Amino acid sequence: MIKRKLTLIMENKPGALVRVVGLFHQRGYNIESLHVDPVDDFTPYKFIEEQLETKFKENEISRLTIQTLVSDSLMRQILRQLNKLIDVIAVSNEETTYLKGVLLDENLL
Amino acid sequence: MGKKLKLSGADMLMRALHDEGVELIFGYPGGAALHIYDALFRQDKIEHILVRHEQGATHAADGYARSTGKPGVVLVTSGPGATNAITGIATAFMDSIPMVVISGQVASHLIGTDAFQETDMIGISRPVVKHSYCVFDANEIPKIVKEAFHVATSGRPGPVVIDIPKDMTAPDNLFEYEYPKKVKIRSYNPPVEPDENQIERAVAELLKAKRPVIYAGGGAIASNAEEELFRLNEILDAPVTNTLMGLGIYPATHHRFLGMLGMHGTYQANMAMHNADLIIAIGARFDDRITNNPSKFSPGAKVIHLDVDHSSVSKIIEANIAVFGQVKNSLSAIIKLLETKLDQYNKDTLQPWHDQIKNWKSSHGLNYELYKDESDENPILPQAVVQHVYNITEGKAYVTSDVGQHQMFAAQYYHFDEPRKWINSGSMGTMGFGLPAAMGVKFAFPNEEVLCITGEGSIQMCIQELSTCLQYNLPIKIININNEALGMVKQWQDMNYGGRHSQSTYQNSLPDFVKLAESYGHVGIKVEKNSELKSALEKAFSMKDRLVFVDVYVDPAEHVYPMLIANHSLEDMWLSKDKKT
Ligand SMILES: Cc1ncc(C[n+]2csc(CCOP(=O)(O)OP(=O)(O)O)c2C)c(N)n1
Ligand SMILES: [Mg+2]
Repeated sequence: MIKRKLTLIMENKPGALVRVVGLFHQRGYNIESLHVDPVDDFTPYKFIEEQLETKFKENEISRLTIQTLVSDSLMRQILRQLNKLIDVIAVSNEETTYLKGVLLDENLL
Repeated sequence: MGKKLKLSGADMLMRALHDEGVELIFGYPGGAALHIYDALFRQDKIEHILVRHEQGATHAADGYARSTGKPGVVLVTSGPGATNAITGIATAFMDSIPMVVISGQVASHLIGTDAFQETDMIGISRPVVKHSYCVFDANEIPKIVKEAFHVATSGRPGPVVIDIPKDMTAPDNLFEYEYPKKVKIRSYNPPVEPDENQIERAVAELLKAKRPVIYAGGGAIASNAEEELFRLNEILDAPVTNTLMGLGIYPATHHRFLGMLGMHGTYQANMAMHNADLIIAIGARFDDRITNNPSKFSPGAKVIHLDVDHSSVSKIIEANIAVFGQVKNSLSAIIKLLETKLDQYNKDTLQPWHDQIKNWKSSHGLNYELYKDESDENPILPQAVVQHVYNITEGKAYVTSDVGQHQMFAAQYYHFDEPRKWINSGSMGTMGFGLPAAMGVKFAFPNEEVLCITGEGSIQMCIQELSTCLQYNLPIKIININNEALGMVKQWQDMNYGGRHSQSTYQNSLPDFVKLAESYGHVGIKVEKNSELKSALEKAFSMKDRLVFVDVYVDPAEHVYPMLIANHSLEDMWLSKDKKT
């Protein structure tokens, strides 16, 4: 088990956070710490806007960081499960970023 | 510019459902849904089926969805209406069935006050839905409906809940109605077309394999991939097995079909999977009822996994080649490439493999045929019931089932040649599913034979729907395989708990099912002797316009075999009460 940090960009919608937290509980993953902020500077996320052909507006998205204790094999499964949540726009660990249909080989969030 | 239509939230909901192509809703009214029910009353496009319990509504919508491929639609009230729907929502979720469930909610200003019939439906349903919406602004109803149907039916399908506070549907608040033509959810983008590179890698493996097995599941049915699968195997000529959820996607009477695999799969299907050098998994997810102990699963096989859901691939069994996309499209791509390489493929190289499989098949086929003795000194065997039903209906009926031994006998002995005809709760294993699911199928296909193979335990979990069947005149045939016990539980107790039948029998408390059927206005037939079985079933199926409940007393001691030995490989099976592999 290694402590790993996940970063999520997600829609700032009612119920979105609880879907993420609920998924950890439901699938037996553990949460060491969790932090959410609204995103007001979109410049680091231009690549998402381009990829998804969208334009973020004020108060529309939030950034979530989660510290979790997991094995390597479970890591990929957690990323894929999070990526499947409909309010999650992108999720990354240290090495990869899942941006809905697209898998990118580095941490871009 | 024409003036836009102004409608209340409830009327918008009805219009939106109609614009979405919905023809049928299964539901049950109550306070928080009354504005919606009034809007329903004032229109004539959508038909509403009044069930007798909200669980029945969800299973009926589910049966409709499984048989047609179209989403099932449910309407319930808040509080108990919503919570009663949960089992059916979870059942649809676990089997990836498209469904939209609309639940009334208390008025927005009352949310959080413990108001009458208030329950947090979004919260309670969250782990068992693909997605959910709560309406906070009535203007958004058309858009939410559009999104809900899109999410429910695309990618890996699943149930979506729309929770609507009562004030959102109030008759005196009018809004401009327009149904969106297109839907785009920026954070939702399920794969459709496969990656070409992966297709090339998959084809290279297919050309090389000496002991391939095609393993197709419910995802192949969801993707309507039967023609592609059939075409693929015209080229490959490989043995094919289906999961419990996949039965019918490949014709059961085809000579390359191995039968179902897994917990109660056939000997040859499990042996072939275990000894394969290549497994082509198509819309199947290596569930624990399939793999037995994953670390002992098919030690020599490479795995090509076709799926629309990233998280299903390499979850239990690591895939060597993952192909993401609609499996129909992925199969088409594989076929297209294979067709250019036919000179590199020789079906004959599979002959030793086919010979081996033939050997397995003849050594331990489904063995009821071998030991049946249908004289009246012997009790009726449950397998015989299914076999007769199969023969009488010429294998063409829609068959729903409940959960237990009867379900496994139905899966083993009714041979499905077409997809969407075998309707059962595979992953949740929800007792009570069969009868309401059969209603949903019968509404979709009024002119087809629809039957429910059930057990005296399961049928009592949604028996109230017999009343719905009378109201809407649904001539379903119910075949109750009555072993006077929770047979599957009892079988486990026989095998693992020294025969201690803890709470799995009813001590002579079963109802008289014939009278019960009659009191609901239907026909009941009781069968206790082998010599009466065939004629009783024929009589039941000859009553085309009546619901007939056939209560067949069978051997209570019978077990389902083969059965995988827990924690071992797929090669390790009980073949009968005293014989294992
Ligand atoms: C709602 C629900 N409760 C409990 C179970 C556990 N269970 C699985 S099979 C079974 C027995 C079913 O009895 P019956 O319908 O008579 O079928 P049989 O096995 O006797 O053919 C039970 C209790 C279940 N699957 N679903
Ligand atoms: Mg029983």
